[in-house]
Amino acid sequence: MATLNLKQVEKTYANGYKAIHGINLEISDGEFAVLVGPSGCGKSTLLRMIAGLETISDGEISIGDRVVNTVAPADRDIAMVFQNYALYPHMSNYANMAYGLKNRGYNKDEIDRRVREAGTILQLTELLDRKPRQLSGGQRQRVAMGRAIVREPKAFLFDEPLSNLDAKLRVDMRLEIKNLQQRLGTTSVYVTHDQVEAMTLADRLIVMNGGVAEQIGSPIDIYNTPATRFVAGFIGSPSMNFLDGRVSNDRSHVVLTDGTRLALDHNVAENRDVVVGVRPEHLSITTPTESSIAAKVRITESLGAETLVYLTFGSKNEAITLRMQGTHTYAAGDELTLYSNPSQIHLFDQASGRRI
Amino acid sequence: MYQSKWRSLTNHVILILGSLFMIMPVWIAFASSTHTREFLFQNGLQFLPGGHFFENYGKILFDQSATKGRVTALQMLFNSMVLGLGFAIGKVIISMMAAYAIVYFRFRLAMPLFWVIFATLLLPLEVRIVPSYEVVAKLGLLNSYTGLILPLIASATGTFFFRQFYRSVPDELLEAARLDGAGPWRFFIDILVPLSVTMIAAIFIIMFVVGWNQYLWPLLMTTDDQLYTIVIGIKQVYNSLYEGGQIPQFPKAFALTIMASIPPVLVVVIFQRMFVRGLVETEK
Repeated sequence: MATLNLKQVEKTYANGYKAIHGINLEISDGEFAVLVGPSGCGKSTLLRMIAGLETISDGEISIGDRVVNTVAPADRDIAMVFQNYALYPHMSNYANMAYGLKNRGYNKDEIDRRVREAGTILQLTELLDRKPRQLSGGQRQRVAMGRAIVREPKAFLFDEPLSNLDAKLRVDMRLEIKNLQQRLGTTSVYVTHDQVEAMTLADRLIVMNGGVAEQIGSPIDIYNTPATRFVAGFIGSPSMNFLDGRVSNDRSHVVLTDGTRLALDHNVAENRDVVVGVRPEHLSITTPTESSIAAKVRITESLGAETLVYLTFGSKNEAITLRMQGTHTYAAGDELTLYSNPSQIHLFDQASGRRI
Repeated sequence: MYQSKWRSLTNHVILILGSLFMIMPVWIAFASSTHTREFLFQNGLQFLPGGHFFENYGKILFDQSATKGRVTALQMLFNSMVLGLGFAIGKVIISMMAAYAIVYFRFRLAMPLFWVIFATLLLPLEVRIVPSYEVVAKLGLLNSYTGLILPLIASATGTFFFRQFYRSVPDELLEAARLDGAGPWRFFIDILVPLSVTMIAAIFIIMFVVGWNQYLWPLLMTTDDQLYTIVIGIKQVYNSLYEGGQIPQFPKAFALTIMASIPPVLVVVIFQRMFVRGLVETEK
């Protein structure tokens, strides 16, 4: 168990493409850090750099108090779980889990003890003699985790481990991973593009975009105060509504493109072009007031416990999503008046996308 | 598989006819090999086996005088076996290692080297047989098993197939193995070789049959009768058919032919089972 330290880490590929632009990150002992972002944002590359499967172009990665830039993957004392499990298909599950220990010269009894113990933890005891192909996807991923656990490494690295599983199993495995990590208290880095996974698993969330860490913080902090428009749009489902606007002269309102005025309690310069962000769950239907948005229903999606209403707003047909508790039905073309509490309105700079 | 009886009957008739068509020449050769040469000479090819099976086969297997040279068929079968096995095993090992180097190690000229190997596919043995002979002769390897096997052992076909196969192995397996502390050699032995079993069986079958059936190369390499392969032996027997004013040795030639075809058949039958099992096992 150890801390994980990234200092100004950069990755430039041989063809000149820069995948990671200087990332600083300190993951404390036992922490569960989740790297989340859209595909191509560099999150997997970063994880593979920590694992030693990609070289580090610049900066420094240390595990514990040892700089590991040039240390071979096997000697970094980390274990990795892959998206496609990467189990050795010709070996039994037992042999799969034992392989790493065998190569490291552990004696048979010790290997057996560790594998059996991991098997018990992961409920694989009866499956140890089978081959990976005789198992379901969830079981295979458990074997892959077993292979990581038996090594008792300083850190676990997860590379989208649940992406190949079906939705229900994904939820179950998510809980299992969280439980396991808390029980073992091993420092973990987890890569995913699924923001629900990211929110539920993370002690600390690193939202990445274009090779840069856009925001690092606890999931709730990131949800409540996204640092950039990108983060605001990426975290939360359905994603945040964005409307262009301009702050009024007296700074008490923001004027949207069709002249609608939304009350503000932000401290922001007058006449500034801004993007207004409101989460679908923070909008409610109200009677028309000075500070309400009039929008037309396009489609309604009923999920039982909640209803998602997709609307268009203003002359530019800007899209708005509304999330309501319970079941509601609206016909396409219905006019609704929406309201959001000023404290739940986020403002972003139009040019830079930074939070104001 | 719910076919009418009628249809299944038709299918079977066609299959049986096809099999008969394929088997008939072999059967005639076998049946004819069990008669005396005088009988065969007078009555032509035979459909029914005669009573001289043990006599003819025993003689050709163990009696030097039965063939033209001073070598028994048993010795020739042994020579062919050495050539076939050496050829097949050598090619599998060499091409696996070559493909491993090309796919998994980044070294300069890897691609050009691969294409050079690949280009040799375009040159049949006959084209390079004279220089090859020269090299073997200068190394003093004429009339030796080494000289028979070694110059043919590099295989572009094998290298190519193994390369294609290795490229289809997911990179994550290599990465997982690296994290598990397996070096290049361990990865090759523990992961890649077991995964290639199907491929090995397939290449082995093909190469064994090719090696077994080599004709021109052993003919040039060997002047010593003791090193004749069975394929050359057959040729020698046929050569003697019309020499010396004797009654031609048809039964012996047929017997030799039948014996020459048995080992490749066995290899295919045995390894095919492994081949199929390998296919089933690597299925994900």
